[in-house]
Amino acid sequence: MAGGMEKVGRTEEGAVAGLSAERRERFSRQMRFAPIGEKGQLALFRSRVLIAGVGSLGCALAQHMARAGVGSIVLADRDYVEWSNLQRQMLFDEEDARQCLPKAVAAVEKLRRVDSGLAAEAVVADLTAPGVLEKAAAGCDLVLDGTDNAEVRLRLSDWCFAHGVPLLYGGVAGASGMSAPLVPGATCCLRCLIGGEEEQESGETCDTVGMLSPAVELVAALQAAEALKWLSGSRGELRRTLATASVWPLSLRELKLPGPTRTCPACGEAGQAQRGGSGAGELSRSGSRKAEAAREARGPAVEASFARSEPQAAAPVDAAFKPRKTAALSAVLCGRDTVQVELSEPQPLDVYRRQLEAAGCAVMRNPYLLRAELPDEGARLVVFPDGRVLVQGAGDPDEALRVCERYLPVS
Amino acid sequence: MKKLDFGLYVITGENYHPGRTLEEVMREALHGGADIVQLRHKTAKKDELLEKARLLRRLTREYGVPFIVNDDPELALEAEADGVHLGQEDGGWREARERLGPDAIIGISTHSLEQALAAEDAGADYIGVGPVFPTETKPGRPAVTLEYVRQASRHVRIPWVAIGGIGPHNAQQVLGAGATRLCAVSAIVGSASPAQACRELKAMIAAARGRRNGQAYEAGRELAAARAAGETNGWAAAAVDIVLNGGPHRTAAGTLERLVEERGLSGRRIVAEADGQIVPREEWSRCRLRRGMAVELVHFVGGG
Repeated sequence: MAGGMEKVGRTEEGAVAGLSAERRERFSRQMRFAPIGEKGQLALFRSRVLIAGVGSLGCALAQHMARAGVGSIVLADRDYVEWSNLQRQMLFDEEDARQCLPKAVAAVEKLRRVDSGLAAEAVVADLTAPGVLEKAAAGCDLVLDGTDNAEVRLRLSDWCFAHGVPLLYGGVAGASGMSAPLVPGATCCLRCLIGGEEEQESGETCDTVGMLSPAVELVAALQAAEALKWLSGSRGELRRTLATASVWPLSLRELKLPGPTRTCPACGEAGQAQRGGSGAGELSRSGSRKAEAAREARGPAVEASFARSEPQAAAPVDAAFKPRKTAALSAVLCGRDTVQVELSEPQPLDVYRRQLEAAGCAVMRNPYLLRAELPDEGARLVVFPDGRVLVQGAGDPDEALRVCERYLPVS
Repeated sequence: MKKLDFGLYVITGENYHPGRTLEEVMREALHGGADIVQLRHKTAKKDELLEKARLLRRLTREYGVPFIVNDDPELALEAEADGVHLGQEDGGWREARERLGPDAIIGISTHSLEQALAAEDAGADYIGVGPVFPTETKPGRPAVTLEYVRQASRHVRIPWVAIGGIGPHNAQQVLGAGATRLCAVSAIVGSASPAQACRELKAMIAAARGRRNGQAYEAGRELAAARAAGETNGWAAAAVDIVLNGGPHRTAAGTLERLVEERGLSGRRIVAEADGQIVPREEWSRCRLRRGMAVELVHFVGGG
């Protein structure tokens, strides 16, 4: 993480010495846009954002943020690049798919080519795993939603509303999508909009209805525009609506967002008061410094009040295997027949490599993961160093567990 | 059948006009356009009150507007007032109705949506919604803020009037939050020119109503067009016609929550909008479906 920071220079350069000739030239067209100007550009240099999920939306969002001059970008994703991603995930190419690079890693590499001065960090992990989101989001001014399921989005919303950081929600399916800036103190949270974990996942995913890249770009543009407003200092101009948009047929509609729900523990006034008023308050008010101070003072402990009961703790299947038995299990990774299993005592990847090769699997290994084609199952295992295993083509979760027990035995 | 139609509600407040008589000030208010007048005086003795009530009855008859007395059904009877206004603390809504009969106007102060709906169910003819802003008239009662005004505009079906600290300086905010009737005390009777204060407020109310009617007209026209396109009749009496996702829909669901159930969408991730505003899930059960209401049920899009 710190390695990326050393390369930057953007932050200091912007804040202390003003703009270098090269920077001035580079961002001239954006600064010429009056509402941003030089002041807004400097604010962008000083900003830090989390892009949660680096799939279709995440790639587009990352490009917008990097090219706009956002100083520091954290990219978090648990998945790796596959051929089916290339049609719409604009930061990836065939080489990334061949190498099975984690999406966050491949994206950071591309972004560094876009801007060598960018501080970009890759987090290859599941944002719903304990501590991951807290670490990735620490110090961020904004969270941009590029995720593909409600479970993680609700976590993002809870974290953002506990820390006074806006969440720019976006979602796409088929040729349409929607986006809403959810701002602590000014709007309701995601829970009040779509319900909690108990509700069913939306029926439409890229798996069932496909996904058109122009729809992705449209929704990402809606999110990125609000991000630029917030980060460059025009906070009062944020849209207070949920926008629904489609490219085929063309439509764009805005639905007025309600304010905080008084009785909601995440966004209500009670919640705000309980946290000492760390919310951003009115959209036009800055509040960011207060929120930042509150963030530092409190740390991740606040999440405890929203954490739901951990399903994997309730259903231990085997000492060594912790399946993430959630409602979202079969839809864990958007668009594929994939189940995520967590190994409770992960071994070094090379240990697994030897085991899998001995079992007759074709194994591919890169610095970030190991992928094995199972000989007789028609299935595939992807093992990450953090102990996550993506079981692809296994069908149901029980079958996925069986595959793990067989091919990844505890030594 | 009584018909209650007012925009500006004026309540007396003699402490706000020392040196000027009740008659002088209230006549000015009526001249400026007060649509309904309430006598409120918490400290006067009974015979004094009756005298004030008779005076106001005479004045309001001159101007042809309803006259309400605060708190006291007996006084209302004695002074031949059109009705009585009761607070949450006063209770006795049913007794008041029994005493005054079905034609009397009974108004109830409410400070939350729950109270509003309870008053509606209890047969109130109108309710007060407030105090919107902190007010000297009701010291010690916390302001309910504009949020309650917004809720009222979505959920309350009987006439409701926003009250509490409202004057020409902040009326626009209250109207913007959905109010179509305003009540003022000190801003009118404490003003150097009560008539002028009334005229200003009436003009603002009229402008806001014009904007709202424009919207209602649009919704109504859509509905009429849809009906003409072949909707049939013969549904349950309690059913109302709404516009659901752009098309005509007749439903007896009553609330937004039941409508979602009726559509088989319970437990699904749905974003619900009523008349241009997203309704948070928590409020679905309190969001009543009204004739002509435009409801959108949108599936939450989860891909990315």
